[in-house]
Amino acid sequence: MEAIWLYQFRLIVIGDSTVGKSCLIRRFTEGRFAQISDPTVGVDFFSRLVEIEPGKRIKLQIWDTAGQERFRSITRAYYRNSVGGLLLFDITNRRSFQNVHEWLEETKVHVQPYQIVFVLVGHKCDLDTQRQVTRHEAEKLAAAYGMKYIETSARDAINVEKAFTDLTRDIYELVKRGEISIQEGWEGVKSGFVPNVVHSSEEVVKSDRRCLC
Amino acid sequence: SATRNAAAGPRSVPAAGRPSLSAAGKCSPLRGAAGALRIGGAAGARQGRVGSAVGTGLAAALTRLIPSPRRLEEVPLEVLRQRESKWLDMLNNWDKWMAKKHKKIRLRCQKGIPPSLRGRAWQYLSGSKVKLEQNIGKFDELDLLPGEPKWLDVIERDLHRQFPFHEMFVSRGGHGQQDLFRVLKAYTLYRPEEGYCQAQAPIAAVLLMHMPAEQAFWCLVQICEKYLPGYYSEKLEAIQLDGQILFSLLHKVSPVAYKHLSKQKIDPILYMTEWFMCAFSRTLPWSSVLRVWDMFFCEGVKIIFRVGLVLLKHTLGSSDKLKSCQGQYETMERLRALSPKIMQETFLVQEVIELPVTERQIEREHLIQLKKWRETHGELQCKSPPRLHGAKAISEAEPPTRKALEPVPSIIVPAGPAPVPKARKSKEKNREKSLGSPANGPGAEGNGAPGAARELLHPQVSPHHQSKESLCSRESEDTYL
Repeated sequence: MEAIWLYQFRLIVIGDSTVGKSCLIRRFTEGRFAQISDPTVGVDFFSRLVEIEPGKRIKLQIWDTAGQERFRSITRAYYRNSVGGLLLFDITNRRSFQNVHEWLEETKVHVQPYQIVFVLVGHKCDLDTQRQVTRHEAEKLAAAYGMKYIETSARDAINVEKAFTDLTRDIYELVKRGEISIQEGWEGVKSGFVPNVVHSSEEVVKSDRRCLC
Repeated sequence: SATRNAAAGPRSVPAAGRPSLSAAGKCSPLRGAAGALRIGGAAGARQGRVGSAVGTGLAAALTRLIPSPRRLEEVPLEVLRQRESKWLDMLNNWDKWMAKKHKKIRLRCQKGIPPSLRGRAWQYLSGSKVKLEQNIGKFDELDLLPGEPKWLDVIERDLHRQFPFHEMFVSRGGHGQQDLFRVLKAYTLYRPEEGYCQAQAPIAAVLLMHMPAEQAFWCLVQICEKYLPGYYSEKLEAIQLDGQILFSLLHKVSPVAYKHLSKQKIDPILYMTEWFMCAFSRTLPWSSVLRVWDMFFCEGVKIIFRVGLVLLKHTLGSSDKLKSCQGQYETMERLRALSPKIMQETFLVQEVIELPVTERQIEREHLIQLKKWRETHGELQCKSPPRLHGAKAISEAEPPTRKALEPVPSIIVPAGPAPVPKARKSKEKNREKSLGSPANGPGAEGNGAPGAARELLHPQVSPHHQSKESLCSRESEDTYL
């Protein structure tokens, strides 16, 4: 049976083809790295529980999308019901970085009136020698769009946990503050089963259990 | 999410791990690098997702795969030999069989095409053989062109990701991957307005496991233009329409499953995109993929719909089955990790054959959904040629080989004996011999029997949404509307 969770957040993972979206998600949900993964055709989905504070679990529904532009006519239907998103680019592929802007525009159009809390992810950071995008410029871009920036590697399991849990925490904070609320007909945030847990914003200081992998 | 890997076992079945076939040698002049005997198969069909075998190498993967229960399903050797000789006879007299004994061909496709002849049979069924003969040298011409960089870039990134555990595709830059590149690149040049869609790669890879690059290219062309027109085009409208058609058919096939999916608001596009666009090559165990494709090439998209419906029905078709997947997510999880039992070759094929979903129904539903689409989305943005339902419809729409040898008449006599002057001696009335051309030989006979006569023989094969004419009219090479 399902473990108990406080909220369910729906996240979407987008970015150019071959930046490593599916691999990142699989590392996070299955804990392993596949050297080769089939190109995603359409939409795929994964799920994992994240404990953001002791006893407080959030269920993440993670939607993987095909990166090829052609599939956007299908995948864009899933932006709307997402509360958060990981926008990936490949640090060894400059073009995928240049397309970040386009991805944001694309989602903005299709997500209204809602909005998605995005984190910008520079993926494949294990391939530092082939880097085509500096951390500095990526951070600058992220800041310009009001996003956080993080560099990850599915292969070496660098920052994978952190990318997802930080985003989850940020969304959780917004939910707690009432800036994001559960709405009928919107799947982004759902309330879970919470037996005997009093939801209080005065809860103990956040645990420092961030996994550094 | 561990459940999604549950089906890894049966997927991991050797492709054509049957005893060596003497027939392979004598009957497949077209057969190139992809031999008849192939151990290891597309075990990797989904291995990328399985992960565990990754990095352990092919050998390790194979040892895990060979002692498979699938062996039980293997056709006894004597039966296989008999089938091979029957198929050889059919292939050698293809047009005659197509014209007069199409039902027999269909039956034999349902039983499974012998592995040694599969590649050749697919080419005959799909009409790609005719197409190639009409376009001698075209592939080589495209092959020599450099191609559009924007497509090359995407294609190259996908090459090593198709059936990476198949011996043909295992080595980076190896023959399989090179041929895959050539075929996909050629398609982007052949249809520059279509370019490359990532779902085409697994289709092309499966074809390349059965035939050389040029043949695979024309077979891909037939799939993209005759069997599944519009599936890979910009906007992907055709696949979305088919999702709606599938869902509507499900209402009749399994009201329980239909109701459940409606209630959970699970859009068909979520579970059927990969099924349909990749013709189940990334979903089913390998032996089932081949059997499904055998029928698909013969009977057309109906088979794809039926497979989808069978899978849905047996996954969500009773209240008992729904007990363990009451939520939206659980349901989708279940559809993603289908039970190996229902994907098993014999079971699946039997269910597909028995499912009463006809071309007529699909076409009727197509019209309904198209109307709805226009109401909600406006006109289709990508016009595709009409869908042809299988070998028979294609052979009637596609001109016979002799077209390559003579100018196409602008007026076609709709019925009666074929309009070929030298064919008077022909014994059969509704079939003309080819013009004693160099291309004479197996399959080179004319196949221009008028559509009207054929419809009398097979009244069930013409429920197209377009007029009858499009079935029997000559294809003007590029039928894009």
